[in-house]
Amino acid sequence: MKVPERYYDEIFNFAGQWDMPSCCGLKIIHKQDINYIIVTELYQDNPGTSVTYAAESLYKQICEAKNLTDGKNIYIECNPDTNSKLSFYDEEYFEVTFEEGQEPKYRQLEKSEIQNILE
Amino acid sequence: MKLKLIYPKWKKLPGQTTFNLPPHGPVVFAATLPEYVDISFTDENVEELDFDEECDIVAISMMLTTQVKRGWAIADEYRRRGKTVMFGGISTMLHAEETLQHADSIFLGESEGRMEAVMEDFKKHQLKKVYNYMGKQPPIELVGPARRDLYKRELYNHKGVQMVDLFHASRGCRFSCYPCAVSYLGGRCFRPRPIDKAIEDMAGIDNNRLFIVDNSLAQNKQWEMDLFREMIPLKKKWISHTIEDDPEVLDLAAQAGAWYVYQAVYDTSDYIKERVKRYHDYGIGVEGTILFGLDNQTEDDILRLIDFLLKIDLDLAEFTILAPFPHTKAYDDLMRQGRIFDKDWDHYNAGQVVYYPKNMTPERLQELYDYAWKAFYQDETQEEKMFKLFTQVMLREMEDGTYRPRNRKLANKSFGKDVDRSKSHFNEK
Repeated sequence: MKVPERYYDEIFNFAGQWDMPSCCGLKIIHKQDINYIIVTELYQDNPGTSVTYAAESLYKQICEAKNLTDGKNIYIECNPDTNSKLSFYDEEYFEVTFEEGQEPKYRQLEKSEIQNILE
Repeated sequence: MKLKLIYPKWKKLPGQTTFNLPPHGPVVFAATLPEYVDISFTDENVEELDFDEECDIVAISMMLTTQVKRGWAIADEYRRRGKTVMFGGISTMLHAEETLQHADSIFLGESEGRMEAVMEDFKKHQLKKVYNYMGKQPPIELVGPARRDLYKRELYNHKGVQMVDLFHASRGCRFSCYPCAVSYLGGRCFRPRPIDKAIEDMAGIDNNRLFIVDNSLAQNKQWEMDLFREMIPLKKKWISHTIEDDPEVLDLAAQAGAWYVYQAVYDTSDYIKERVKRYHDYGIGVEGTILFGLDNQTEDDILRLIDFLLKIDLDLAEFTILAPFPHTKAYDDLMRQGRIFDKDWDHYNAGQVVYYPKNMTPERLQELYDYAWKAFYQDETQEEKMFKLFTQVMLREMEDGTYRPRNRKLANKSFGKDVDRSKSHFNEK
C-alpha cells in the first residue's frame, strides 16, 4: 500500500497526537491569491497520527512551517489511490474547514474541482 | 507499597458464548512494576470489586473500547475516596483525552523499563498527569514473562475445564488494515520477541492450551518458522490469528501444536475455500472471522457470504459489525463523511451498528448480523461446534501424554459462579 509519489511534492513531518512523530505528503499550490494546501495520508509510511485525526493541528503546523497566512488558504485532505483491491483506498479529496470549538467540516471535491486546482 | 490492579468489566454480546479468558494486558503490565510493589488484581468480569480493600494506588488496565466507561466510573469512585488512580492499556491510548478527565495520571505506550521511574514519582508525590511514550517503543528484549501468578485460576474455569492462557510473541504490525488500530498503538514495524525469551515465557505457563494473541504471525516467515520449531518440544496446543499460507510453515505450525486459527473470510472466492482446506489438511481447525458493514458490501453480498460459509467446512464462525474505533482508517472515513451517529463507547462492541452503512440502513445491517449468527449455528450450536474442536485437542493431548482431566472440584462452577443446569451456556436474545 505504498502511496505513489505523484501525490506530493514533499514529505512533511509533524507532531501528531501526543506529539507522536508523524508525516504526510504535502503539495502547496498558489493560484489566484489562494494557497491550496493538499495533505496526503501515507498509511504505512506514516508512523503516527493520520492526517484526518491530526486535522487542525496539522493545518496550523503547516501554516507555521511554510509561513502561510491564514485566511488565504484552502486546506484539502487527500485519500490517495494505493492500487489496493479494496475500494476504501480509492482516491478522494476533501476540503476541510475549521471553526473554533467545532468538529472540522468536510466537503468531498468533485473530480473536476480537484483537476482545476492541480492543473 | 500496595497497588490495586483492575481490569474493568464490560457487557457481553447477547447470543454469544460468554467465556472469560484470563486477561493479558494487566499481567504483562504487572511484570514491569518494581519488585517492592505488592499487587492485588481484580478482573471485574469474574469477581466483584471491593472498593474498601486497602491500597496506596489504583491502576486500571483497559483493552476494549467497551471497557472505558466502566473504567472511568471505577476511577471516579476511587478518587472520591481520595485514592490516586492511574490508567494504562490500549484503550487508554485510544481514548486518552477523555480518560485524562477521570485520572490522576495516564500512561501511554509500553511500560517495560519505565515503571520504576513512575513509581518513584508516585512515592515522591510527583506523579505526572501524562506519561507519554507514544511511538517510543522500548527494546522488545525487555518484554519478560507476564505475572500470571496474579490470576485466581479457579475463576477462569468452566465446569472443570481451564480456559486458555493468552500469550504474545511479538508487537507492532506492518499491515495497515482498514478497521484496525494496532499499527497506531504498537507501531507500524513488526517487532518479534527473541525466540528464546518467547519460549521461556511460554514454557513457564501452567497451561497446555494457549491463545497466541499476536495480530498476525505471518509477518516474518523465518522468525515464524523458528518460533514454531522451538515450540514443538513444549507440546502446547494453541489458537492464533492467521498463519503464513505456506506448506512448510503450516507443517511446522501443526507440529508445534496449532489447534485452530482465526481466518478472515471477506469474499466467496475459491482462494478462501482452498485456504480453509489447506489448514484442515494439516489438522488445523479454522474459525472464520467475518466483518459486516464495509462500504463495498451490499445486502446480497452479505447473504451470499453467509451461504458460502455454510459450504466451506468452517469449524466456527464469528461475525462482527464494523466498529469505527479511533485511530483507524474506518474512523477517519466515516467521521469525514459525517456517518457516525452513535458515540456511546459502550456500543462499540462490534455487535451493534453505530454508523450509517453505505448500502443499507443501520437496522438492516443489524438484522443481517443477527441472521448470520442464527443461520450459521442453526444445525449445530456454537457450543456443539466448540465441543468438537475441544474433542480434537483432547485426543491430540492424549497422544502426546499432556492431557489433563477436568478438575472435578470445579465441575459445578463456571467462572467462579455455580452452574445453573436449567440454562444453556448461551445468552438468550
